[in-house]
Amino acid sequence: MISSLVHLASPPRLHQRRLRVRGTSITLLSQVREQAETDLGFSVDYELLDFPTCQRRAAMEPEGYDVYEQCFHNLDIVWFWGALQPIDINRLTEWNNISDLAKHGGISKYAWRGHGDAPVRKLYVQPGGFLGPKPSRSISMLPTVHNMDSFGYDPRVFGMAEGIKPSWAWLLDKRAKGRIALVDEPAIGFFDAALAAEAAGELEFADIGNMTIEEINALMALLEDRRRQGYFCGAWRDGDQAAQLVREKRVAVQSMWSPVYGQIGPHPGNFIEAAPAEGYRAWHGGASLSRHLGGAELDMAYEYLNWWLSGYAGSVMARQGYYIATPDRSRAHMTPQEWAYWYDGAPAAQDLTGPAGEWVVRAGARRAGGSYQERASRIAIWNTVMDEYNYATRAWERFIRRIQGSATPEEGAA
Amino acid sequence: MIRSSNPFAQEPRYELITRVLRRNIQGGDLPEGLVLLEGPIATVMQTSRVPVQAALRHLMTEGLVHRFEGRGYLVGPEGRGIAPLRRDISEFTLDIPEAVDDALQTRGTWRHVYDEVEEQVASCQIFGEFRIVETELSEYLGVSRTVARDVLARLQERGLIRKNPASHWIAGPLTARTIREKLELRGIIEPAALRMSAPFIRYADVEHLLEKIDSGATLSSQSLSDALVELCISQAPNTTLVEMIRSNRLLLSSVNRALTSLGLPNDEAAIDQYRTLFDLIARHPIDSAAEYLRDHVEIVARRNLARMKIVAVISETGAFAPYLVPQ
Repeated sequence: MISSLVHLASPPRLHQRRLRVRGTSITLLSQVREQAETDLGFSVDYELLDFPTCQRRAAMEPEGYDVYEQCFHNLDIVWFWGALQPIDINRLTEWNNISDLAKHGGISKYAWRGHGDAPVRKLYVQPGGFLGPKPSRSISMLPTVHNMDSFGYDPRVFGMAEGIKPSWAWLLDKRAKGRIALVDEPAIGFFDAALAAEAAGELEFADIGNMTIEEINALMALLEDRRRQGYFCGAWRDGDQAAQLVREKRVAVQSMWSPVYGQIGPHPGNFIEAAPAEGYRAWHGGASLSRHLGGAELDMAYEYLNWWLSGYAGSVMARQGYYIATPDRSRAHMTPQEWAYWYDGAPAAQDLTGPAGEWVVRAGARRAGGSYQERASRIAIWNTVMDEYNYATRAWERFIRRIQGSATPEEGAA
Repeated sequence: MIRSSNPFAQEPRYELITRVLRRNIQGGDLPEGLVLLEGPIATVMQTSRVPVQAALRHLMTEGLVHRFEGRGYLVGPEGRGIAPLRRDISEFTLDIPEAVDDALQTRGTWRHVYDEVEEQVASCQIFGEFRIVETELSEYLGVSRTVARDVLARLQERGLIRKNPASHWIAGPLTARTIREKLELRGIIEPAALRMSAPFIRYADVEHLLEKIDSGATLSSQSLSDALVELCISQAPNTTLVEMIRSNRLLLSSVNRALTSLGLPNDEAAIDQYRTLFDLIARHPIDSAAEYLRDHVEIVARRNLARMKIVAVISETGAFAPYLVPQ
């Protein structure tokens, strides 16, 4: 009797409205979650995982989440596993405001679309359950946050003179030997390495976005050769690890994500963002619906998706250097100075803060690569899950294990 | 694949032995305190010692036998001070169910071990390249080297393994290209064979199959795919072509089974397409069926490539059968 009294007296937890979101550090920020809860009137639970773990669990355990926030390129895994359900465009309030980069593949009709998995190639649900660029009534993932990634480098190593053009080749450069790190994600770091190999003139790929077995073998052999010579000092899976490598002065050049530049300590001028001569490696994130959703839960998920593009979340994303698919809606949530720096590529008129209120940009600084338009028209490749992804992933994992097993030169390999 | 109707035929040998010993201990045929030795049991069961060792270890975890000071195991639970009873196990009349006996007796041929090996060899390939050590294989299966060689010959026939210049058996790695090429070949030769087979197709059986599909019977896409070969394509009057079609399909079906057993979702969308295909074959000019078959194989190829990508999510547990050595 007592226990049932206690039960009656406690709040009716079972009926509390709750939405479970599984995703990565790209979008699972507490500032977003708290505002979403305030605006939507239901609880939002976050489950934050690294990229490969997130992808695996999203595919194999779709019952564990309602909304999946990840990148378009890994739809090749999660969608084809049957873990997601199509999103009905008619229920998306912001659909008409979503930018052309997501819906058409380039920021203008004539812009180069980049190699690999441009989001539009995975956007629309086609007959037979395939994904493709031909518009239809439902989509696989609501396009939200995106960016054009490059690498960061120490200008004291590579030079500060006017006219020095950063190149992906620096990721394999002798000058940085022993102080090079890559992001450990086979659909991301693999392409940083591939761009480096091409830029350095070591290899040439017929289609860098869909390599053959021979091309993958050649790339891995090149990386292994450099590893044996002691070029690499590490590999990282999240921004904190990347920031730590910079703060500990262990890297002269490495793969980078935008928010990390705000976390690298007191001398941001010693590790700066590159605008590579060869163009960027871009990615596009979004939100998808778990296959088990229905009824009131599905309604809640749609509310959350629509909220994501309504402005506030995009402003939080901007402060960590990411763009949103509905920039005009987010502009109202940003100061003119913020907008000018992050989207227009203008020098910062004042110090700017990141999502958590920490200083991330000093007055006078300018974003590498310029405005959104400039950066988005220079996409060399998108993060991609190639046909030989499984083969490449296994080879990549062996390589990473060897880097982590021996960051010193000339140790037993294979 | 070679499936036997005996439910025990696919069980690992050590499990069969465990089954027999457990039954006889629980039924009292093997008395408490009896010393169980590997050698005599292996003789009774007509097997090598390896599976007997495994069976005894298994029974120990179940608490049915225990270790003692001497060699072997004692029947009965530990800690009761049971005295060892040393008698040859062949003196006891063991109760062995007929199906288990049958499965044990016929273990000597490659057929009874083949499916297990095929699945292990096909699924390891997604993780990379492996060498198969013949002696380890025969040890693992508890069969002779001759039987192990028979198994390897069948695996080679299916394109699952090959010999390298050093004459080692090599499996994998499985690539999207292999799958794509096999399916491309299917798209070229199968419609051609279907056209040639038109006068010889077993139309009554096709009609019967259509009725089965329409009645909502559960049919796997693999079984429908097999039916397409048996009832239609293989009736083509060019045996070389039919042989080529069969052998080209072997690797694809092995891989398909292996991926499913690793937990990959099955492809259910194909059933509708088979229905349309059989309908075209049975009731329309053969050209329309051949065209449809070509389109169908193209879709199958796209699905298979998608499936090959999601394989990357399966983590390597490191638990490969002992005869498979990562290269």
